[in-house]
Amino acid sequence: MLKDVTFGQYYPGNSLLHKTDPRIKMIILIEYLVIVLAATTEIAALVSLSFTLFLITVSGIRFSVLIKSVKPLIFVLVFTAVINLFFTKADTRPLVDFYFITIYKEGIKTAVMMLLRLVSLVLGTSVLISFTTSPLELTDAIESLLSPLKAIKVPVHEFAMMMSIALRFIPTLIEETNKIISAQKARCADFESGNILKRVKSLIPILIPLFVSSI
Amino acid sequence: MFIEAKGVGFSYSPEDERVLNGIDINIEKGSYTAILGHNGCGKSTLAKLLCGILLPTEGKVYVDGLDTLDEENSFEIRKKCGMVFQNPDNQLVASVVEEDVAFAPENLGLPREEIRRRVDKALETVGMTDYAKHATYKLSGGQKQRIAIAGILAMSPECIIFDEATAMLDPTGRKDLVSAMKRLNREIGITVVTITHYMNEAVEADRIIVMNQGSIIADGTPEEIFSEVEKLHSVSLAVPQVTELLYQLEKDGYKTKRGVLHAMDAADEMMKLIGGGRK
Amino acid sequence: MTALELKNISVIYGENTPFRKAALNNINVSFEKGSITGIIGHTGSGKSTLASLTNGLLKPTEGEILLYGENIWDKPKEMVKVRSRVGLVFQYPEYQLFDETVESDIAFGPKNIGLSEEEIKERVRLASEFCGLTQKELRRSPFELSGGQKRRAAIAGVIAMMPEVLVLDEPAAGLDPKGKEEILSGLVEYKNAYGATLLIISHSMEDIARYADNILVMKQGEVYMQGNVEEIFMQAEKLFDANLDVPQITKLFIELKKRNLCRSNDVYTVGYAKKEIEKLIKDSENA
Repeated sequence: MLKDVTFGQYYPGNSLLHKTDPRIKMIILIEYLVIVLAATTEIAALVSLSFTLFLITVSGIRFSVLIKSVKPLIFVLVFTAVINLFFTKADTRPLVDFYFITIYKEGIKTAVMMLLRLVSLVLGTSVLISFTTSPLELTDAIESLLSPLKAIKVPVHEFAMMMSIALRFIPTLIEETNKIISAQKARCADFESGNILKRVKSLIPILIPLFVSSI
Repeated sequence: MFIEAKGVGFSYSPEDERVLNGIDINIEKGSYTAILGHNGCGKSTLAKLLCGILLPTEGKVYVDGLDTLDEENSFEIRKKCGMVFQNPDNQLVASVVEEDVAFAPENLGLPREEIRRRVDKALETVGMTDYAKHATYKLSGGQKQRIAIAGILAMSPECIIFDEATAMLDPTGRKDLVSAMKRLNREIGITVVTITHYMNEAVEADRIIVMNQGSIIADGTPEEIFSEVEKLHSVSLAVPQVTELLYQLEKDGYKTKRGVLHAMDAADEMMKLIGGGRK
Repeated sequence: MTALELKNISVIYGENTPFRKAALNNINVSFEKGSITGIIGHTGSGKSTLASLTNGLLKPTEGEILLYGENIWDKPKEMVKVRSRVGLVFQYPEYQLFDETVESDIAFGPKNIGLSEEEIKERVRLASEFCGLTQKELRRSPFELSGGQKRRAAIAGVIAMMPEVLVLDEPAAGLDPKGKEEILSGLVEYKNAYGATLLIISHSMEDIARYADNILVMKQGEVYMQGNVEEIFMQAEKLFDANLDVPQITKLFIELKKRNLCRSNDVYTVGYAKKEIEKLIKDSENA
């Protein structure tokens, strides 16, 4: 079930990150993303990792919250690691050569780097933006950064308002979804078995009520 | 007179039946009125007409002298008269409590210090100052409704209409909200109109208007209204248990007082009867 | 015969962390076949958690849930069977309606259990009768109905599975007195017709007093009081201590008892109160 999704939730606090101007944080975010994605050597990876750790410390966000925000990605993380582990080919001698399973040293390196990058990305974005910036500050910041566009009649203010309202409804929608899933399960609905087609069909009793209730 | 409805009729479209028929009401400034009726009698529609959210298809509604049909007035009317709805979730637009309360003043473009001042005052009035920085979705139903009220208070309204605002709350939440309504009316002087089908809420008001099938069928103080037990039964409304009991005893030939709503007063009546008070 | 029993049930979140919270703490309750039990308690008392346990939606951290003596978690893969025998209706169930017509929405449950076309039709018919839905309403889209009608359609959707145990979380919430009466008496009719066991979570003492045989009072994850209706309302003080209410009629008799006009306050319905009062009047005249 969709419990404990902490995406988009603001955690009030007094840390340095909380007090920084959100526009600066957004600019830092862009630079941060570039650094993390561009890090190809071990040293670069270590640098970006330590920067991430620095951000986390400076934000004062609880460890349990950070873990919760990474949990939903477990599947993606494992999948990526596995792909990189087994499918990276190099010129050196493989470390493991067992039937059709071939693992190179580079494979391990790439898998670990990918993992670190993904985790850094999620944690960094969450810590810089969602956790330490209240939705109002965020939308003010976006509005401010986009304000040059007002000159060409882009409805920046309305856009910012739409964003903040959407953000605030995420937890409510998740709660609503869980309720609907429980209610349909209580009527013996089965969301787990069957082929793809059947499973997609089984989502109708969830999606329709959800859609209707959000209108 | 704060809100005046004259010959008001309403239907959602020309082909539909009229939901409201020939309504005449005067809501006095500073009063506390409850509008009682079974589901589907038109009370919610009336509430929306009284504060200008819906426009009458016949007749007129005036809020503090302003005609709701005149588009020019809508902004002023919105500021004077706020509305709290049934579903606590549908009224909150921000993730953080104080941001939600600040929503309206922000949209009015008021200066930061003024917004801060209003938000603090509003939260204090509803007793939610400690929750200013909390996440909105974590609040209980009753707390969410109080924040909704605060959001309206931040606009300094003269009147607040509650459209079945307690229907989705548990007893504690309901009690809190009713106390908030009383406080708004008695301490701050805001005109309160509450739409409900809970009679134990209606008894807290100074005046009760009873509706049935689009018309007003009774209008008076709680004592007067709850004296007419048969009338209320006939429109699918209940009366407090003790009122019902005294009514049943009266039917059996005992002399009882009508319009008794509370257990203590009923006990006094019992004393007279059991002390040998047969008709 | 015991229809449903919760033995040594605990539901604990965050075990071994500093955030450990017991939603339910070592509960022992049982429900007799054919009985109606009213469940009361504040928000956070654990009553919703208890409801979610009854049909296997939630797994207890400790303890057993026995449906006619069998542990429902013995065969977790067959939980669908349990859910067709223990029907659970959540608060504001109208939010679960989704299908094109009320008829097909009610048929959702029976369809999921794999009944034949005729059986499904029959179930829909029976369920709509108990819930007071007309043929006309059955053919309409659920989204066109009024609030009260939607509520009835949603409850019919669960009754259509003919559950032996029916658990309802505030089935009459938000309804006006007439709507409330229709729903609650429909449920009693269902129970009488099929010998079902009803568990009704409610905040209205007056409703519980009127329809229930037994009362279960929950407080902070534990059983605070258990017993038949008379026993519970006799202990009004204990209810007040937990910030819970009693029917207004009971309050009246508590006051009369204080004033030495009557001997006991185990009165909780208007009908019974009238008889008692008339008896007291006659007694005082003869005295």
